Amino acid sequence: MTILQARGVVRSYGQTPALRGVSLDVHEGEILAVTGPSGCGKSTLLHCLAGIMRPQEGEIHYRGQRIDTGSESVRSKLRRTEFGVLFQFGQLVMELTAAENVALPLLLAGTGRREARTAALTWLDRVGVADVADNRPGQMSGGQQQRCALARALVTEPRVLFADEPTGALDTLTGEQVLGQLVRVTHEQRTTVVLVTHEPRVAGYADRELTMRDGVLDETEAGIAVPSGRHGR
Amino acid sequence: MKATTAVRLALAGTRADAVRVVLTACSAALATFALLAALTVLAIRTPPDTGSRFAPWSEQYGSALLREPGLRPGVAIALILLMVPVLALAGQCTRLGAPARDRRLAAIRLAGATPRQTTAIALAETGLAAVTGTAVAFVGYLVAHEVLHRPGPDGTLALPTDVLPSVPVLVAAGLGLPLLAMLAAVVVLRRVTISPFGLVRRQGRNRAPWPWPGILIVLGVLLFGAFGPLQRAEFKLPDWIGRIPGWLVVIPLFGGAFLASIGVVLGAGWISYTTGRLLRRFARRPAPLLAGSRLMADPWAGSRNLAALLACVLFAAGAAGVRSWFTTQEAAQAEANRLAAGPGPSDIGPGDSFHLQTMDLVNLAVLVALVIAAGGLVVAIVEGIVTSRRTYAALVATGVPRPVLGRAILWQSLAPAVPAILLAVTVGVLLPRSLQSEARTGGSSWEVCDASQALCEDPVTRAQYTRIVEEPAIIRSIPVPFDELALAVGVGLAAVLATVAIGLVFLRSSTDLEELRVG
Repeated sequence: MTILQARGVVRSYGQTPALRGVSLDVHEGEILAVTGPSGCGKSTLLHCLAGIMRPQEGEIHYRGQRIDTGSESVRSKLRRTEFGVLFQFGQLVMELTAAENVALPLLLAGTGRREARTAALTWLDRVGVADVADNRPGQMSGGQQQRCALARALVTEPRVLFADEPTGALDTLTGEQVLGQLVRVTHEQRTTVVLVTHEPRVAGYADRELTMRDGVLDETEAGIAVPSGRHGR
Repeated sequence: MKATTAVRLALAGTRADAVRVVLTACSAALATFALLAALTVLAIRTPPDTGSRFAPWSEQYGSALLREPGLRPGVAIALILLMVPVLALAGQCTRLGAPARDRRLAAIRLAGATPRQTTAIALAETGLAAVTGTAVAFVGYLVAHEVLHRPGPDGTLALPTDVLPSVPVLVAAGLGLPLLAMLAAVVVLRRVTISPFGLVRRQGRNRAPWPWPGILIVLGVLLFGAFGPLQRAEFKLPDWIGRIPGWLVVIPLFGGAFLASIGVVLGAGWISYTTGRLLRRFARRPAPLLAGSRLMADPWAGSRNLAALLACVLFAAGAAGVRSWFTTQEAAQAEANRLAAGPGPSDIGPGDSFHLQTMDLVNLAVLVALVIAAGGLVVAIVEGIVTSRRTYAALVATGVPRPVLGRAILWQSLAPAVPAILLAVTVGVLLPRSLQSEARTGGSSWEVCDASQALCEDPVTRAQYTRIVEEPAIIRSIPVPFDELALAVGVGLAAVLATVAIGLVFLRSSTDLEELRVG
């Protein structure tokens, strides 16, 4: 079943085109990797799909509802409740502890402080960093920070997780560990994942891989959703 | 989002954020105190009218500024004007640590906060600081009100500690200032787009500033100059036209001064851009070239940073002009008295009259405002250096000597400040001159009876002892007080130089190559 759909999406930065009429379907529960060289438009595509950025032309539909025409507040709420977003770095609030960072989306949604903290501690435990719950990001390693960010992206139990180069700032071993956690947890949650990366190793964790070049998608696996991942999901 | 969450996120900042909150609270406290003092002066009750031509005085006070009903609005306005540099300081404080705060807000946006929620978090910080400052000021005011209520040996009060503003007025003051601070924060944030990418984009003005504030200056001076004819019309208009209400007469005076001040402050943006362009065109050394580029990149920064200082210099020049007017008027009056009374000492010597003493108070107020404005300028310059620390560190890493950066900062501050201060002084002195360029006195005549009261009141003998005294008309042109204007320019430039010197202390630590490694 298609959970997310893009049709003819166009986006430019000034005179420079980033997306030239991209269309794709994302199926529920799959891990989709969008790969390509730097500057090919894959991050822009992810931002458009996640409602962070509005396309200049084309449409984005989530569960049959058009989302690209919604207000910033509507799209923010969507990102807080239905979507989770994981970036390469810089997404944690440096002044808050790991637990507070993970609890933040729940607090913003109006959940009580105690309840939000309990959920945050549960998620920190699930991604294996419960021991740094009261540390600030500056006191954590890169891998711990990224797992903390993963916990924050999943604490609201989103249906879709968008990950933009999630291991780009990590060494190979730590990157493997974080990806392992991401695949395991999203599989347990039946969460759909849209993963943007330029590393074939990272794309290897996905069920389906799409290659992007100069703002256009080249579907190397013919858009067929594979029921289980190649790395033993 | 619950209010407690907003407060927690608002206060989750670093040491720079804490300093910003404390400075905002201090500014709010100072502004509230000045406002409460002004409201107290306005709350002084005038004794019941006794039928005299003049309103009765409040004799319980030692100072004529408080005793005379006609002078009290002026005192209140002076106190309220003291709020201007304080509020400007508060405005500068909101920029302290702004990059770190913006980054934090961006990270919160990334976590799913809506634009409205991030604004609410920023407002919670400003609102809390302002409420705290206002509360401290209220407590201090009430304590001072009690402690200072001590009549002197002659039974008079030095301060109006026997009155309090009405409760609705106090409530309005207590709520108004925090609301004003939060409104200012909304205005500051209006051009900041905090995107969920974790990026903060300040929507800059791309086009160069235009010299349209010059129109405001001309309008302001003309409006200010219209006060004289309006005031004369109030007394001379025929009854069938009707008298112009007093408050309407005062509008051109304050409206004109306000328009001219705004024109000078906004004009500093155009001055910054133009000096930057001239530096880029003619400078040959790296420091002025760098300064020129930075001035052209953000010409409004100079306007923002110098705003309070320029307002102070303008008022100082205006006060110098008014003082020159009073001095000339007094000298003309003394001359007229001397001619009317014949040889002998005059009872009014120039330079020691009540009005000139009042001008000393105005000068003191301007000096206090200047110190506060200089404080705001220090905050702005240090903030500018700290914000650009990675750029500066990169320049140092590529071989630019630190002294060159220091000189560039000096050029960047001083190049627009010199013409802007000269403009402020010119406009300041033009305002009173548009009102009056010459002092006039005399030209009238009156009867004097040189005999006892009984003889003078007797119609038969009165004419015998009565003589007509004609006071000669004395007209003196009011000189431009160049010495005082030069002092205003000197003090203004000295303030800029001093603040740059303080700011440069932070340059070494901000150009540390370690800054390049900070994520």
